[in-house]
Amino acid sequence: MKDLKHLIYFEGLLENANNALVRQAKAEGKLCIGYTCFHMPEVILNVDNCFSVRLRAPNTGSMDIATYYMSNYSCEFCRAILERGIEGGYNFLDALAAQDACAEMNRCAEHIEILNCVDNDKFFVTHADIPYKVVDYTVRHYVTQMRKRVLNPLSEVYGVDTSDAALRDAVRRHNELCGIISEIGEYRKLDNPTITGYEYHILNLVSYVCPQYLVADKLRETLEEIKGRKPDPKPWYRVRVGIVGSEIDDPELTKLIEDCGAMVVFDRYCFGSTPGREIIPLNEQEDVLTQICRHYMEVSECPRYISNEKVAQRRETADRLAKEFKADGIIYEQIKFCDYWAFERALASHVMAEEYDHPVLSIDRPYNVRGSGQLRTRVQAFVESLEFKRIKGGSE
Amino acid sequence: MAKEKYPNPKFFRMKDKMDWKRQAENVAEIAEICKEIARETDWKAAGAKHLKGWKDFGLRVADEARAVAKMSGGERLDLLINGEKRLGRLYKAGAMAFTRREWRGVKDTAVDFYYWLDTWKMFLLTFGKDLIPSLNGVLNYRWMISYFCAHSFMDKNCMGLRGEALRMHHIMIYQIYRYVAENIVFLNKADKHGGNSEELSRKIVLLDEMTMAQLMAGFPDLLGIPYQLMPVFLLSEIDQLACIPYLDAVESYGLPADACPVPASECGAAVIDALPICGKCFISSSMPCDGSVMASSFQDRRFKMPTFHLTFPVRYDDEETLECGVEEIKHCIKFIEEQTGAKWSWDAYFTAMKRFNQETSFELEKWDVNKTDHPQLIGPIYELFRKWNYEMDGGLDPRVLPAMKKVNKIMLKAYRKKAEPWRGKMRHRAIVWSVPAHYYANFSNWLANCWGINVLVEMEGLNFTKPLETEDEQGALEDLARLYERMVMRRHTNGGYDHVLTELWRQVEAWRPEIVIMYQHVSCKTMSTLSGLFDEQARERGIHMIWIEHDLMDPRTVSRRAMRAKVNSYMTAVMREEPLDPSLLDFEDDVTW
Repeated sequence: MKDLKHLIYFEGLLENANNALVRQAKAEGKLCIGYTCFHMPEVILNVDNCFSVRLRAPNTGSMDIATYYMSNYSCEFCRAILERGIEGGYNFLDALAAQDACAEMNRCAEHIEILNCVDNDKFFVTHADIPYKVVDYTVRHYVTQMRKRVLNPLSEVYGVDTSDAALRDAVRRHNELCGIISEIGEYRKLDNPTITGYEYHILNLVSYVCPQYLVADKLRETLEEIKGRKPDPKPWYRVRVGIVGSEIDDPELTKLIEDCGAMVVFDRYCFGSTPGREIIPLNEQEDVLTQICRHYMEVSECPRYISNEKVAQRRETADRLAKEFKADGIIYEQIKFCDYWAFERALASHVMAEEYDHPVLSIDRPYNVRGSGQLRTRVQAFVESLEFKRIKGGSE
Repeated sequence: MAKEKYPNPKFFRMKDKMDWKRQAENVAEIAEICKEIARETDWKAAGAKHLKGWKDFGLRVADEARAVAKMSGGERLDLLINGEKRLGRLYKAGAMAFTRREWRGVKDTAVDFYYWLDTWKMFLLTFGKDLIPSLNGVLNYRWMISYFCAHSFMDKNCMGLRGEALRMHHIMIYQIYRYVAENIVFLNKADKHGGNSEELSRKIVLLDEMTMAQLMAGFPDLLGIPYQLMPVFLLSEIDQLACIPYLDAVESYGLPADACPVPASECGAAVIDALPICGKCFISSSMPCDGSVMASSFQDRRFKMPTFHLTFPVRYDDEETLECGVEEIKHCIKFIEEQTGAKWSWDAYFTAMKRFNQETSFELEKWDVNKTDHPQLIGPIYELFRKWNYEMDGGLDPRVLPAMKKVNKIMLKAYRKKAEPWRGKMRHRAIVWSVPAHYYANFSNWLANCWGINVLVEMEGLNFTKPLETEDEQGALEDLARLYERMVMRRHTNGGYDHVLTELWRQVEAWRPEIVIMYQHVSCKTMSTLSGLFDEQARERGIHMIWIEHDLMDPRTVSRRAMRAKVNSYMTAVMREEPLDPSLLDFEDDVTW
């Protein structure tokens, strides 16, 4: 296939958290709100003159200082974020909208606050309480928390307009962007897809880490390009897989998997598009923030939601995506030391194989996967096993 | 008014429906295993080992006799009155049990023996209420065997204690043992693999790991049992090797080894069918950490039991989160009512909570005494009792209050006498922070006996002490939510660093310790993620902070011996001190209970 016109440009945007578009938006007087987790609704961080940046720590090398503070038994994503913060890599932030959902990320945000990692007098960190299940009173609780912990401080410190009208406008812009990303994602369903998993990962990721209003045009243009893109005569991949699991903000992982011959057809992980790039439907009757919060709670696939219906939802979603995207197998992954996904992965990898009949590869991985020969070997073995299965199925 | 009987005597009398065929099959299987062991045993080697054991015994007795012979008259009199001082003699490399019981002097040995007998009496009477299901439990569950060393647990936790301290510790552990014994009887009676009493099973509400009991006070006709307490949680304190099969099983299943051994062991217990099958419904919880949140999905997959997930806000300082907590309590009560047909009783709840409030005031009295220059109630049993009373008993058992009253009376008497719990060994004041190792429950006992480091209080004991509302229903629900949000561990590890980091410095000010024993449970993310700040801030304040790594329920990662070595290094290199009891400096106890 011909290369996508803007792919190198997009890849360049992922080289640094403080990328060219972030700098441009800041120069235009916009407020940059960092966040790290799906439990913090991205859309409300794009209200009025704010723009959201989902924090990453690209090209992380040593994490020694963060390891001193948070020990080497903790999630490398959290440590990488802290290390970058200590290095001054997030000085562009005006606020960090943090959530007390997983203990490790909460501690990371606390360190950013205690160690004064951001050189900005008005910078603040907010810690929102996140419920564990979706029922009427937890939705109310979530709404209160978002109002009290996020919108009110933005309004009080920076004078941000957090009215219903402003939130509706944020949802409109958000939906527009999600529409583009979702449409691009549909091309992965084709038998001979006109986009690779890696390309999609890049496009989706830039939509999280760049000001939406600055990146939307180029994404729209890329969508048009993909519509008319001619695939290679024969599919390049040997098997199709989906990824389910914890935080992945490194497209190199997708690249590693695809280099082994497995096309990544769906991305059901934190920072992926499911959930995250769904349209948020709004009605005119109900309070906007409640509708937003309920949407995020309902579509969330985070294992922290422990109620039985949410556990079932996560399995159903993985199954549905595998069928819709014609995946030959599922890779359940977790970043090392992530407690939620450690338990979820261990159990779900059995359940999906035994009850849903999907071949599953279960892995834990470091934050940086580039040099992981072990991971490459495991994916290669999985690809071969899926091929064997197909051959065996054919002969039978 | 009739005296309140607890637990309800009817529970013991409910009819069993034992599946004798299944029991016979199980016995046959065990017989086969025994035969196999007998076939595979090298009897010659076993005989030689046995013989060596007797020879070692003879050598030890001779050695001890020589030591006594070498003593002066005054030393012998001291030995007779105050007991022995070289406690390392009680350990033997490769042995699970102590070499013998401790000699505490004539009076205290007699006191110790009296309580030893009393505990046996209680065990026999309790198990005698329905013995057969429990015997079947022994044949069904590996963990039941570990409870045979319960007395050893008592001995090792009382090691070196004399006088009033010894009596207080015995009274407290008796309360815990009675609770454990009764609940083991109930679990085995209701278990499908045991007594199979459907009648009792319908009355049982299973509570998730460490979920507090207070909620059950409003259901006097039901029996709330902390489900994993006996097969996993407490077990790991009694027998350090007990949870290893659970951990191995769940890690083979795919759970990474870095997960906290508490939820990991519970999941492992579910994976290898080590948990009794009983109960009408299950209350899972989000407490106290991320790992424990997730364990419920493993349980659920195995039992398919109606489950209520009791989840509370994490940022509990924010009073606006209280409404959500109250709703959780209300919905949980409704769930239990729907599942069991029982009705919530405010009268019963208020009665129990009035007791709990009194118990809390007794606890505060203990803190007041321990904050002085003459602390009295210190040591591992007190630490365990505090947690048990706060979480598992919660004022439900009316027999506990008089016991606490008695303990406080003895404590105040000892305080007036300026007694020392460990005679001649009160060298340093210390507090324990973070999560203690289950497999070394008596670590603070070793600290006192070997180095004279006296642990005045530990983090997990410093919980919610506000008297609970016992008149107004809405206020009571709010207090109950506040209490649950501040359960053991959660009180400190949830809701922000202020609750555990800054809180330590507040407690240091209140208790005036010279040393902070800082546990580093290697799988506890909420604590390990603050290690750098603890270190920095302790240095700024000039506090001796001794870091002790451990893996909570898995002694293979960091052994007891390695834990002791950390203290030994600090005390010799930094404090430049000599041990009070050199025989305890280094010894092997890798398999000791």
